[in-house]
Amino acid sequence: MAEFFQQVVAGLASGSIYALLALAIVIIYRSTGVVNFAQGEMATFTTFIAWTLVDHGLGYWVAFPLTLLIAFAGGIALERTIIRPVEGKPVVTVVILTIGLFIMLGGLTNWIWKAEVRSFPPNRPFPTDAWEIGGVAISKQDVGILAVTLGLVGGLWALFQLTKLGLALRAAAVNPTASRLVGIRVGWMLAFGWGLAAAIGAVAGLFTAAASPPLEPNMMRPILIYAFAAAVVGGLTSPVGAVVGGLAIGVTLNLVATYDEHLHIELDRVRLPIALLLILTVLLVRPAGLFGKTVLRRV
Amino acid sequence: MSRLATVRAVVTALALAAAIVAIFLAPRWDQIGDIKGQNMGVYFIAILGLNIVTGYTGQISLAQGAFMAIGGYTTAILVVDHGVRDLWTIPIAALVAGVAGFLVGIPALKLSGLYVALATFGLAVAMPDILGWDKLDAVTKSGREIQLFNSPDLIGKGFEDVTFLGQTLTFTRAMYYLTWAIALVLLVVAWLVLRGGPGRAFRAVRDSELAATSSGVHIAGYKTFAFALSAAYAGVAGSLLVMAVAFADPNSFPAKLSLTILVGAVVAGLGSLWGVLIGAAFVQFLPDAAVHISKAQGVPDAVYGAALILIVLLLPTGFAGGLRRLFSPLTTRLYTRS
Amino acid sequence: MVRRFLLIASATLLALGIPVAFGSSSADPGITPTSIHIGGTTPLTGSAQAFQSVAKGAEAYFKYQNSRGGVNGRKINYEYLDDQYLPSETVRQTRILVQDKDVFAIFNSLGTEHNEATRPYLNEMKVPQIFAATGATTFGRDHRQYPWTIAYQPTYIAEGAMYGNYIRRTSPTAKIAILYQDDSYGADLIKGLERGLGPRKGNIVAKQGYKATDDNVQSQVARLRSSNARILMLFTTPKFTIQAYQYVNSLGWKPKIFVNAVSSASNVMILSSSRNQNKRVEGSISIVFLKDPNDPKWAKDPGVLLYKRIMRRFARGGNVKDVYNLYGMSAAFTFVDALKRAGKNPTRQSLMNSVLRLNERNNPFLLPRMQIRTSATDHYPIDQARLQRWQKGRWISFGGLLKARS
Repeated sequence: MAEFFQQVVAGLASGSIYALLALAIVIIYRSTGVVNFAQGEMATFTTFIAWTLVDHGLGYWVAFPLTLLIAFAGGIALERTIIRPVEGKPVVTVVILTIGLFIMLGGLTNWIWKAEVRSFPPNRPFPTDAWEIGGVAISKQDVGILAVTLGLVGGLWALFQLTKLGLALRAAAVNPTASRLVGIRVGWMLAFGWGLAAAIGAVAGLFTAAASPPLEPNMMRPILIYAFAAAVVGGLTSPVGAVVGGLAIGVTLNLVATYDEHLHIELDRVRLPIALLLILTVLLVRPAGLFGKTVLRRV
Repeated sequence: MSRLATVRAVVTALALAAAIVAIFLAPRWDQIGDIKGQNMGVYFIAILGLNIVTGYTGQISLAQGAFMAIGGYTTAILVVDHGVRDLWTIPIAALVAGVAGFLVGIPALKLSGLYVALATFGLAVAMPDILGWDKLDAVTKSGREIQLFNSPDLIGKGFEDVTFLGQTLTFTRAMYYLTWAIALVLLVVAWLVLRGGPGRAFRAVRDSELAATSSGVHIAGYKTFAFALSAAYAGVAGSLLVMAVAFADPNSFPAKLSLTILVGAVVAGLGSLWGVLIGAAFVQFLPDAAVHISKAQGVPDAVYGAALILIVLLLPTGFAGGLRRLFSPLTTRLYTRS
Repeated sequence: MVRRFLLIASATLLALGIPVAFGSSSADPGITPTSIHIGGTTPLTGSAQAFQSVAKGAEAYFKYQNSRGGVNGRKINYEYLDDQYLPSETVRQTRILVQDKDVFAIFNSLGTEHNEATRPYLNEMKVPQIFAATGATTFGRDHRQYPWTIAYQPTYIAEGAMYGNYIRRTSPTAKIAILYQDDSYGADLIKGLERGLGPRKGNIVAKQGYKATDDNVQSQVARLRSSNARILMLFTTPKFTIQAYQYVNSLGWKPKIFVNAVSSASNVMILSSSRNQNKRVEGSISIVFLKDPNDPKWAKDPGVLLYKRIMRRFARGGNVKDVYNLYGMSAAFTFVDALKRAGKNPTRQSLMNSVLRLNERNNPFLLPRMQIRTSATDHYPIDQARLQRWQKGRWISFGGLLKARS
């Protein structure tokens, strides 16, 4: 039983990271209709910026919010310069653009910082020791990451549902023409979406460096596919879905690998195919994801 | 035939002839070489296939590399474990990959746009792990990595000279001509399919499913057919890839390969066959050029990524779209004249 | 009459003699009186590009050697091409090197499957495949089938066996858990461990694998912990080693840890110990055969100083702390050693013969007193190593030079 809970806890931990990156992906999708393949590399790049700030003497807790601001600005800049020109073009074209961004950012990160393994100071952002409860070791870091993730999605929900800015963001995404007529600066709303997503991505990156060390240029690549899986499973348009999806995937992967010991199929080594199977199963039953809006088009 | 149609037919025939001559002569140009030229042919076939399902039918597939893996492994297993002559494995690889494509196309029917893209991407990412799963030993006797070199059923056993029509060709040159011959045949096949009924049905499905159904087009049928056909193309491409390097292993078909094929298709210009050659050349030679510019760590990737971004910004409809824009004043003039 | 005969005879002999005097009877490609062109493949792009320092370190050494006149008047032109860490691309680039660029030999290509893919071709073409950068045993074991192929470093099986032997002697009853990368590298380390353990093989109570493409191994480590093993083997690459140390610590598990050589670089260990907060790193055991440039005990060592000098002058932009550079330099040193003894006019055959007749004792980058010895039946150049223990922030070697053979 303790083993079960241990795996659930570990699953929630890794799942939180999938959830955060998935959240960023969903926000960009909702605001600009684009799936951003470069989300992970953007997160890595901003995390390295944070590391450089800390390395130059800035305290971690000063560097953290500063990095979020830099990421926010960077996201806006990216949207205005690279994404804006292809607004309205076919989805595939924009996807290729983000793939180009993915490759370019990866190269830049490798060039500027090389592949040396790095880390942040210990116990940042959370202490790494654990509470021992009934044979289960619950790491404070894992709890902290989960708490921030849930808090973030709560905050986003509040932003989108309860504030004027949130309303404007939603309107710009759903009906840009009508929004312009009402005076909403649609262009800036789209840019804001990218900025917000970039900032959330930066959080994901900083947490990844702490929970799945070390900080290195390829850090987010394995996570990207799980984040996509989480976004798809949860529904590409739903932030809540992204988080539920991420946590579910994290926990399910761990439990499947643990209980396969009785089946002797050695599923600990096929996490990716299992994630794929998960995606397909959910999509077969609910084609728009668990929380996605089903656009009913019986043709 | 109208003036416009005649001009287009003549130009197409000339272009095809020029391409055939260029491909035949290319090995004499040292810079390109048989090996890179052959690989470009592999990309050509895969991009052609992807264009059918994504460009013409509008379903974004990010699993083209995975279908190449299926085709490649089919050839490897048949040649090494079962002694099947390599050339005969090509249609079989196409068939197996085509069936796989069909199977993927079925659940894709229920999904919209980006969900298809992400689900197929999941397949591409998982494929190396699936191929490397040792529980699959029942299918591949040789395990994860299959060595075709020296196999009597491989052309030239992977290294010997080959005689064809009285000419002696090195193994790499023979593979080059074989690949491009098949590529040209498949180009013609694609052209025939796409200008005929199926092609119109594909485009109808892409442009408006509602209108298509109202006109009696069986959407589900054509969508899955598109997937199957494009996967079959990928299977041939994978088969030729494995034959040329005489080696099959899971890590030669990573997710990146599927992304590369998609990049090639977009750079080529979706929904048109004109740019496929340029798309294949782009994905084959740009990484080389990037490494040439600098070997410093990270720089080749940065250059390649930047080039890709620039191309998309400057030519969002790909090379074919650019061509269209270039020639539209000409064709418009001709049209209004008559 | 006799004079005529002698004239004709000496003219004939002279005519025959001239090509003989210039050596190349079959004129091997890639070699001229002033240069020798060798080639290899390495991942310059993509996820594995961190390994490119293996090529860059070797390149720096060759440039250094060239600045001192080369070998027998020949400058070494070492060309390495990008294979993106894809075996199919390795085959393509290697064929290009052999067929189009006419290299004399293939040197220092990186990767197990990558070298396996090109091996039959190179042997068929009788092109030397020298010092393949991989620890897979097959490159030393299968020399009868592939006489033109040889690797360089101690094999993973040999390394695993060293750990197994040590455990059998010092903790014969302890239960063992293994975290391993699911590929031939991890599999070989396990095979070696089992060999070394011999009758104690049954002490292995838990094994958890992961793929190099995975994001983290927290789940695997948690499962291993529930086995209550007293020894943990980390057959993992640096990223997952660092993670394993962190998870072991936060899980409150206190096994004795063995970490494999690939992950034993000082900077990896220091990072894992997290500013000394993670005590699980203390006492970890590994093996070593190269001098670690980050280890203070080698700070004044002439070999390491030479390494740093060469890096500064011939590999600007390179990272001196990156041990892979040192590995590459060591391989290049041994190559130059072999080339010097391949004759004034080397052929592929004479180079291969020289590579298989090594008796090198003065490699500045390997541990003191290490010898590189090869023969036609011994295709394992480096087959020695020492055990080392991580204590108070550095590696301390113990025991003597041990045999590290499969």
